Amino acid sequence: MACPLASLTVLLISLAFLASSCGGDNNELILGATTSIQDPGLLDEIVRAFEGVTDYHLKPSVGGSAEVLEKARRGELDVIMTHSPADEDKFIADSEGLDKRPVMQNLFIVAGPDADPAGVRDAGSMSEAFKRISATQRTFISRGDQSGTHMRELSIWAELSITPQGQSWYQESSTGQGQNLIVASDKDAYTLVDSSTFTVFEKRIGLRALVPDTEKPNVYSVIRVASDKHQNVNATGAIAFAEFITSPAGQCVIADFGTQEYGKSLFEPAGRCPSANVGR
Amino acid sequence: MDLIWDGVTEALRLIFTGNGYVYEVTFTSLLVSGSATVIALVVGLSIASFLAFRAPPGRTLALSAFNAGMALPPVAVGLLVSIMLWRTGPLGQLHLLYSRTAIVIAQAVIATPVVAALSTAALQGLNPNLRLQVLALGASRWQAALLLFREARLSLLAAAMAGFGAAISEVGATIMVGGNSKGSTRTLTSAIVLEVQQGEFETAIALSFILLAVILSIITLFTVLQQRRPPA
Repeated sequence: MACPLASLTVLLISLAFLASSCGGDNNELILGATTSIQDPGLLDEIVRAFEGVTDYHLKPSVGGSAEVLEKARRGELDVIMTHSPADEDKFIADSEGLDKRPVMQNLFIVAGPDADPAGVRDAGSMSEAFKRISATQRTFISRGDQSGTHMRELSIWAELSITPQGQSWYQESSTGQGQNLIVASDKDAYTLVDSSTFTVFEKRIGLRALVPDTEKPNVYSVIRVASDKHQNVNATGAIAFAEFITSPAGQCVIADFGTQEYGKSLFEPAGRCPSANVGR
Repeated sequence: MDLIWDGVTEALRLIFTGNGYVYEVTFTSLLVSGSATVIALVVGLSIASFLAFRAPPGRTLALSAFNAGMALPPVAVGLLVSIMLWRTGPLGQLHLLYSRTAIVIAQAVIATPVVAALSTAALQGLNPNLRLQVLALGASRWQAALLLFREARLSLLAAAMAGFGAAISEVGATIMVGGNSKGSTRTLTSAIVLEVQQGEFETAIALSFILLAVILSIITLFTVLQQRRPPA
């Protein structure tokens, strides 16, 4: 028994050492963010900028809007950035979050093959485009993952009283935004995508942006998780992050993002960035 | 196919131009997977010694569990470790989630059954009288264990390599418990996933080749160690 017992002791000591060196992190601040913020690389920039001006150790927890909101409801996150307005409003109505502020936005667009077999190019609106796709039974690729984009897509189908699930032309990719676009491109299919992801992938795919939804932009908001419900939530850190990301400094991180590589901002900041010559 | 060739040239360029990001994620990968392998070896060898030398009742059952553990789904491990480390979980007060330590724990959980199962088989393959003889000649239990480990070192090193391989190539649990944060929890594998999600396939392939090169170098080192003739 000497051998396993001794090793177990060594293990416990080393674990305790690891825990003491890396744990006990009172400055940790957990930010729930959606994949659509991480995938283009914006999240890395936000973390870098925020850690540059504060002492907080910002740890991102990335997932679809549904995953982020559910983790927040369990008190696992301090502050979140999502883009699923109806779910966010419910989250706040349930007293799980507070102080929702718009951070940035982009547009949803219907992307599809250049040949446009469903003829959506001149549809003029999202719902008309969706109606034409279902009427002509052209392949439509859905995210199918309860993400903000997926929720938006479902709300358009619901408005039209169309049930696409189970139809032969309707397929769920269950992947992130970028992968979903690649799947749609491979199948020469239509899909709903946000304009930032589309810009990043534009050169690599065979799809065109056919119908932009200028009426209802895709708004990303910051929400602080209610600290009175969950005692572990870092309330002061959450305030610091919400203040930072909506301040000119935070808004400039967003306004500058993508300008070098794509010649334009990938996300439009909701507020002011005094030094930016792009954005608004 | 062009993409693969471009990926190889890009990999060489990244390695030789001293790209900071690539060195950083490579370092993180080696650090966390190295630590996880060490933990897996300590725990796995202890379990193996106990099962092989002591032949406790229910050994077959335990062995079945460890053998099955070699196929432990990383995503399930990631989820379970996450829930344990959640603030509301039993180990929440350690604040380990989304840290390198969390990745070490998850990878150690994945690699330990591999080391334990293969090491037990290795030690069971030794002549059972050898241990008795060594003990009869007056060796302590520790001395006996070390001598038997040396006897079985070919298979034990193979077990170590398998454990390391399971750890460094893992990505599902790594992202889930680590958060894929640049500068702290981004490993080679999670960086590859992110590059693919960004559509940067060339960089993703380049990083894949770097990962393969790292694995090849480490495993070669182990293999040289393994194949060395024992001191006479």
